[in-house]
Amino acid sequence: MAQQITINPVTRAEGHGKITIFLDDDGFVRDAQFHVTQIRGFEKFCEGRPFYEMPSLMARICGICPVSHLIASAKACDELMAVEIPETAQYLRRIMNLAQLVQSHALSFFHLASPDFLLGLDSDPAQRNIFGVMQSHPNIARDGILLRKFGQQIIELLGGKRIHPGWIVPGGVSEPLTVEKRDQILATIPEALATIQRTLDWFKRTFDNYPEEIRTFANFPSLFMGLVNEQGELVHYDGHLRFVDATGKIVADGIRAEDYQDYIGEAVEPWSYLKFPYYKPAGYPDGIYRVGPLARLNIINFCGTPLADAEWAEFRELGRGAVLSSFHYHYARLIEILNGIERIEHILNKPDILSKNVRAYAEPNRLEGVGIAEAPRGTLLHHYRINEDGIITYANLIIATGHNNMAMNRGVLQVAKHFVNGTKMQEGMLNRVEAVIRAYDPCLSCSTHAVGQMPLQIQLVSPDGAVLDELKR
Amino acid sequence: MARVLIVGYGNPLRGDDGLGWHAARRLSENIRREDVEILTCHQLTPELAERLSQVDRVVFIDAACVGLPGEVSQQSVSPAVSAAVDFTHHFDIPALLACTQILYGVCPQAVLCSVAAESFELMESLSPAVEAAVPELLEQVYRLLE
Repeated sequence: MAQQITINPVTRAEGHGKITIFLDDDGFVRDAQFHVTQIRGFEKFCEGRPFYEMPSLMARICGICPVSHLIASAKACDELMAVEIPETAQYLRRIMNLAQLVQSHALSFFHLASPDFLLGLDSDPAQRNIFGVMQSHPNIARDGILLRKFGQQIIELLGGKRIHPGWIVPGGVSEPLTVEKRDQILATIPEALATIQRTLDWFKRTFDNYPEEIRTFANFPSLFMGLVNEQGELVHYDGHLRFVDATGKIVADGIRAEDYQDYIGEAVEPWSYLKFPYYKPAGYPDGIYRVGPLARLNIINFCGTPLADAEWAEFRELGRGAVLSSFHYHYARLIEILNGIERIEHILNKPDILSKNVRAYAEPNRLEGVGIAEAPRGTLLHHYRINEDGIITYANLIIATGHNNMAMNRGVLQVAKHFVNGTKMQEGMLNRVEAVIRAYDPCLSCSTHAVGQMPLQIQLVSPDGAVLDELKR
Repeated sequence: MARVLIVGYGNPLRGDDGLGWHAARRLSENIRREDVEILTCHQLTPELAERLSQVDRVVFIDAACVGLPGEVSQQSVSPAVSAAVDFTHHFDIPALLACTQILYGVCPQAVLCSVAAESFELMESLSPAVEAAVPELLEQVYRLLE
């Protein structure tokens, strides 16, 4: 009799999701689906609001990465105003974006993912959490806290508060940087750099413990997408879109923000509120692509900072073209933290960083604007249309987790097929199904525009709806 | 170095959940002591553990979702590892204190001062019942600082 396993909700992820694993009559995995079960509707309820409110409104989509939404939204508003923002304002926005990348990546790696690496994927789920890590590896837990604090302090210093800062505005930023704040941030750089370097050292040593997971965690050919600059450098604030294939070959490049709809389509499925973006020239569902840290390190020519470039050279050795295993999202995340810290220091030492000229003012001069930036989890796109009074008439948001939706689904299926035996449910194998999702660090709150409790419930359900088996934690 | 930390937390856009922010602002206007630090946040996060490890006492101010609206209460809190620790959004005071104890080997004396809420609807002001209870709450905090 065909059966299905449901993991609901998925734990140690941002937001509320569910996984269903369909079994055939012999108990082998036939199919798997990753559902996003809640909707928030930001695209609709911002209609009718003045465009200049959008950055503050959009930042409320997420408490983890509000800065990314602020930036993409402000860039879309810059386009509506048709202004070129002052260079110092660009620098300051970049610093805040990188600070958020560091703290968000640290949250994902240390708080959500590290229990699997440090305590084991098959360890007792009651211990396999951040408190288990604190008790068994307090030094590593302190390092996680330090890197989170590093990023959050920068956001707080620049924006006035750590969560939902309102400092990034259409046309630039609301206040310049002071010498005291610059020096305060610079003073924290050496410790942050040392922390991420020792984290990379121990994490790379764990690869040998997970050959099976590296081989099966969403390890398949796909396209990869992200922003690069004219030199093909790793960027997170500005640049153009680039797609590369599984061999590392560039298949589309130089794509301007306003042309995104020529390359990205959005499909829908009846079983999830999360849309399924795809690479239009390949069609749906063949146009599967990935975004985020792994994708960014696969599409670039170089990182642009010395320590991160040295790590990137090692990272590239993991694949013959692009690095395909989504397990290595974690490694890529750590390299990006390293790059982010180096780059923050570099920008803070620019001579114009203390300039008072940080904002351009204008009325709306265009009726349509698109803003793209790299959020921690991947490319973030805000597209607005306004009427002649500057009132929002249309908004389309494509969030990193959306871009990765097809890849997460395929990854769940791959892991389930390898690890799940439907005739005998074990917590450790279901944890692997969740872990492949965690590798992407999805933000489901962002992607559907979700709140929810996160106990884990797994049910084995027969086609007639009878619950055959159940696990709870 | 502050030896007492006051943490007002909650969501200031959700009515009485903003109690911690309202109380912290009023305390900031009245307390001029170098050994007292006041901060506000939306939620408790592990990063606070380091700050807590550096003080002797911490006073948390938060709205309570049980009790008669406007009812002021005070309770000591001890470290405890909660069952649900997949936190990114749900991190309670006992868990934060446990985190401080485990990672830094010390834990401040902790007190929670709260007022039972009347409404968590979308608004930036407190409900009349909670607003009327704020002076009593502040008095409680002042007494703790004596």
